[in-house]
Amino acid sequence: MSSKERKNYRMILHEEMKKRYRTRIITDNLVTVFALVCVVAAIIPLGSILLEVIKNGASALSFEFLTAPQGSIGSGKGGIGPAIQGTIIVVGLASLIATPVGVLAGIYLSEFAGNGIFPTVVRFLNNILTGLPSIVIGIVGYVTIVLFLGSFSVWAGALSLSIIMMPIVVIVTEETLRIVPHSLREAGYALGISKAKITMNIVLTTAKSGVLTGIGLGIARIAGETAPLIMTILGTSLFFSGLEGPVDALPLRIWRLASQPYESAHAFGWGAALILILMVLGMNVGLRLLARKKGFTVRAEA
Amino acid sequence: MNKNKVLLREFNMQKNMIIMSIVAGLLLGIIIPSSIFSVHAQNKIIINGAGATFPFPLIDTWRVDYKTIKPEVDINYQSIGSGGGVKQFTAKTVDFGATDAPLTAQEMQSAPGAVHIPETIGSVVAAYNIPSIPDKGLKLTGEVLGDIFLGKITKWNDPKIQSLNPDKTLPGDDIVVVHRSDGSGTTFVWTDYLSNVSSAWSQQVGKGKSVAWPTGIGAPGNEGVANAIKGTANTIGYIELSYALTTKTPFAFIQNKEGNFIEPSIASTRAAVAAQSGALPKGDQPWTNVTMVNAGGKDSYPIASFSYLLLYKELSTDPNIDEPKAKALVDFIAWAITDGQKTGESLNYVPLPDTVVKLDQDTLKSLTYKGKPLL
Repeated sequence: MSSKERKNYRMILHEEMKKRYRTRIITDNLVTVFALVCVVAAIIPLGSILLEVIKNGASALSFEFLTAPQGSIGSGKGGIGPAIQGTIIVVGLASLIATPVGVLAGIYLSEFAGNGIFPTVVRFLNNILTGLPSIVIGIVGYVTIVLFLGSFSVWAGALSLSIIMMPIVVIVTEETLRIVPHSLREAGYALGISKAKITMNIVLTTAKSGVLTGIGLGIARIAGETAPLIMTILGTSLFFSGLEGPVDALPLRIWRLASQPYESAHAFGWGAALILILMVLGMNVGLRLLARKKGFTVRAEA
Repeated sequence: MNKNKVLLREFNMQKNMIIMSIVAGLLLGIIIPSSIFSVHAQNKIIINGAGATFPFPLIDTWRVDYKTIKPEVDINYQSIGSGGGVKQFTAKTVDFGATDAPLTAQEMQSAPGAVHIPETIGSVVAAYNIPSIPDKGLKLTGEVLGDIFLGKITKWNDPKIQSLNPDKTLPGDDIVVVHRSDGSGTTFVWTDYLSNVSSAWSQQVGKGKSVAWPTGIGAPGNEGVANAIKGTANTIGYIELSYALTTKTPFAFIQNKEGNFIEPSIASTRAAVAAQSGALPKGDQPWTNVTMVNAGGKDSYPIASFSYLLLYKELSTDPNIDEPKAKALVDFIAWAITDGQKTGESLNYVPLPDTVVKLDQDTLKSLTYKGKPLL
């Protein structure tokens, strides 16, 4: 068969295939277009939210807005300094509580627990915890901590938020560790490394990026929570004054500002929303940088 | 693995450690200095209060103004609603509460030793959105309002409304009633008024911070009701006067006891309170039955109410309050009911009549910390 003949033959084959599979090709194209439309439809709300927040919030931004406490409500003076500081403190404290507990629980479920009754119950309860409305957790925080200590406090807010964050970290950690190939663990065993070291140095290191993604997801989730904070930290127009007193937070401040009759308060609310989005975005980018690592990595599909 | 790779990995690990310590450092850097700062500023006093939404702009302005007079005292007032204010005051999680509705007998029982301190006066307006009547001034009577909110009058051009407004063209559309969906002092004042003027209302619905509405749609907060009215044609709802004035929502003129149709305003609200505040109880007595609605006097707007601050007569009842804080709290309120009233007028809040200021001052003088008077 000469090369020309071969080429001809290939073309004939191609034409034949086109004829035979016409309906399949059409279906393929239709589904591709449909999928693209769906992607665009999914991005439109996100894009319009971002645009709207930037459009309305950007004009409020200034150095004073970021650092000063709020002036009297109708005056349009001051800023949201206490809310930014409070969000960093409460969310930071909550993730300091939730991360170790969540990651360790995830490791336990994936590496040590097996499929007995206890781990099954833990997984089940953990899943229920993810689905619990956050206001319920706020009420729990109110009844157990606020009423117990006798005042609204940073602790109550941080503990409530950590309860929301913990199950997310547990689930993502467990899932990520599970997709680390078993051969890697076996390689460790073959070298006579202890299970603890295999878990820490092989499994967890391999899954680092996924675990950090889980932590990032958790932080992003709690950074935007309002409901549990209403019941636990009360909110304040003052800067942080101690872990046993009320503190402010961005989502709470946005909610309170939105219910005021003053245009200036609404402008502040938009500005605060923009800052909150930027903070969550910045935190996610930071975690991504932290998670960047050459070589083999496993990511959670979350 | 060659030496370079090992070095590179060590470098990477170091980099991670550096990033993590920066994050931890930032967090500690914010928490520790602030804690030290708060310890250093021992003479700084923070007073936490929470409650009614209505007086929030006023108290928030007091917070800023009072800081210039007493820099060492920080006031923090959060608007969580009258219902929440009473609850947190009862649970002693805040230093003072605020409510638009006086404590009920039951609430008085769970908060023994509570005193009422009226700190400002508000009135509630019937706000509407009728496309053919873009301005304020639709005339309504209490009886008609009661029928509208009971669902007995369902059309805007009902003869009962039309006869009150012969000069206006009313549409033949259905009336959409908007009420509060949350527990609210505004609802208390509104239903208190309707109970007072409509016997059908008082029998079928009654008064309270939240009631079983016979008709209409619910919206949260003054903001929610105002937005629902603005966004929907042929609506009627009730919002605070200062709120309606700030948001420029049209409202009705309402017939008072003497038969005059009165525009809600600071002056007409003040007239109502002046006419009604002759026989008020002492601060530590029950205020459950105190009402400013349907007051006599030809210029009185009929839907007015006090807004109250709540304190314990013996301030040490609340474990969050120590003696310097008790003193600062009483001083602040003494200032708020006198000099602070001037701020109110520019924000559309009605200043307290002298008789009420006097009453409040007597109440403040009767407050004690571990038996010692504070003023």
